[in-house]
Amino acid sequence: MTRQSVLWTLLDKVESVALTLWPMKFRGATGYLFIAPALLLVGILLIGLGYMMEYSLHELDTATYRLKEAYSFGNYLFFAEQPVYLRILLRTLLAATLVTFFTLLLAFPYAYVMVRTQSALVRKLLLVSLFLPFFIGQVVRAYGWLIILGQQGIVNTLLVKMGLPTLDLIYNYGAVIFGLVQYMLPFAVLLIVPAVTAISEDMELAAESLGANWIRTFRHVVLPMARPGLVGAGIVVFTLTMTDFAMPEILGGGTTDFIASAIYDSFFQLSNSGLGAALSMVLVAIGSLLVALVFWLTGAGTLSIRSEAP
Amino acid sequence: MMNKMNQIDSIKRRTALKAGAAAAGMMAVPGLLQANDKPKELIVRAWGGAWGEALKAGVADPFTAATGIKVRLDFTEDNEIKPKIWAAVDQGRIPPIHVNWDTSTNATISALRGVTVDLSDLSNLEGLLPLAKPAGLEGYPLVNTYAYVYVCAYRSEAFPDGAPTSWNVLLDPKFKGRIALYDDGIGFNPISVIAGGGTFADIPGNMEPGYEFYKKLKQNEPLLGEDSDFTTWFQKGEIDVACTISVNARAAQQNGIDVKWTVPEEGCKVDTDGLWIPKGLPTNEEFWAKEFVNFALSKEAQEKWCSMLGLPPVYPGITPPEDLVGDPSYPTKAEDFAKLVSVPSPVLVENQPIWFAKFNEIFQS
Repeated sequence: MTRQSVLWTLLDKVESVALTLWPMKFRGATGYLFIAPALLLVGILLIGLGYMMEYSLHELDTATYRLKEAYSFGNYLFFAEQPVYLRILLRTLLAATLVTFFTLLLAFPYAYVMVRTQSALVRKLLLVSLFLPFFIGQVVRAYGWLIILGQQGIVNTLLVKMGLPTLDLIYNYGAVIFGLVQYMLPFAVLLIVPAVTAISEDMELAAESLGANWIRTFRHVVLPMARPGLVGAGIVVFTLTMTDFAMPEILGGGTTDFIASAIYDSFFQLSNSGLGAALSMVLVAIGSLLVALVFWLTGAGTLSIRSEAP
Repeated sequence: MMNKMNQIDSIKRRTALKAGAAAAGMMAVPGLLQANDKPKELIVRAWGGAWGEALKAGVADPFTAATGIKVRLDFTEDNEIKPKIWAAVDQGRIPPIHVNWDTSTNATISALRGVTVDLSDLSNLEGLLPLAKPAGLEGYPLVNTYAYVYVCAYRSEAFPDGAPTSWNVLLDPKFKGRIALYDDGIGFNPISVIAGGGTFADIPGNMEPGYEFYKKLKQNEPLLGEDSDFTTWFQKGEIDVACTISVNARAAQQNGIDVKWTVPEEGCKVDTDGLWIPKGLPTNEEFWAKEFVNFALSKEAQEKWCSMLGLPPVYPGITPPEDLVGDPSYPTKAEDFAKLVSVPSPVLVENQPIWFAKFNEIFQS
């Protein structure tokens, strides 16, 4: 028996085993088999959410530091009655909106230049600058900003050398927004680039040849055609910002908590898993509603996903 | 050194006698003989920095030298290890650590939940100061190991005329944005009541003077953080004054940072830390975990551990470190404690969630 025939025999065996495990009549479902692991993971997430929902319906008994057996909406009522939670939630939503706006504003030109540039060197430089931050964690980046923007940081040192007074550049809301925009920018660029790549340069040339200047071309051709990337990037940046914990903690100085900090405090500082779960459910619900609203406003095909069968 | 050796020998002798007696009594039950089998290591949750170094040098290393059991310090945040232990005990799994070095308040919460092992049979409990006994709890579900004070730490450069005499310094507009508190008000909540014009008797029934003080303090834009933040902020010149544990201020000073501390006229909050063992450990591991806690209460361990921390131990008669003699942040006698504000752990456990909510409401606005 030659080596090749051994190989073929082996492959035949493998094929017959595969056919036994997955008969031909199931072939139409093969594609779904490949998404089974992903579905399983999403399923586990849903189980976790189910547990969270269950926890959220039990109040803490401070005599035993265990959740009470009885079901109630006490944790949700507590959330509604405490103005501080609403304030933190609004602060989080405002931050998510601002960060999304500024990130898209900065990311779109970056992505556009990276796709359209004729210079290989510029493209490489932009690509390196884009990917480099991914190798540095969010916490390290936040501490980096503390070093740069702190009282004895590079910026204030320069100001002092110029005879100017120092500025309070960290431990405030603005610093948190700044840090988050810097953190989110690469994500947004990566999501916008495919959309810009999909826009044929001929379309822009055609618009210009019909008399449109570059502003009109940009407004009526490039932006609408890049909408799937912008919406996708917007959703990712918005939801990531809404659930962020590290930037407000490190750059906020403790007084600009986001809802994630309130959830952490409930679970770990107060040992109140019921309240933490209720806050988490509120966050999930608001996030889901907002994303649904975006899809509703921008159309089902926004992300170039087919909405109906052909 | 001789004392140290004698102490270790004495522990070895005690352990050997105890093990021998236990073995003789258990001959009829061979399975239980494994109870005293030495584990390869004990995992002790600890705080990092100066705290961890003190536990290692004062307790862990001498314990290893005496017993041959390696001690691994686990620096998981105390609030984060808590749910892990609770889940393990509830689910019948082996807890992730053998001994938890915890604040007495957090340890009391775990005791109320019923996840702590009773330590009443530890031989070294005898003769300790009353401070060692957890308040409001039956027996010893935890044992307090030392007291500590939340002092007023300050940058001496910012106070050329001397130490601040009142906590009202935190309201001075000169220090706007340059003051710091713990991010949950821990260590300051009772003091805020007194600084706000109330009295100790108002706690916990009437916290309003404290809340009013916080509202004024909010105008001065304090930074809110944790132990490590304070050290960093002092080091980088971000703050001039803070309420923090004297250990942190002393460690910072020993590392060359311009920090001093004082006990202002309103007093400071005094609290305790303790050790506890989670339920659900294998019998032999629980036995040696108890031996570890027992060792931590011995004179030798208390002397070195607490001296390094700069904190008054629960073992009586230990001489304070030279630099802390006469320091009001190192209370040793009843009259020293009288100048400080001590709220029993059960009161803290019951009220801290309410205080925390109010603190958040004021400072997150």
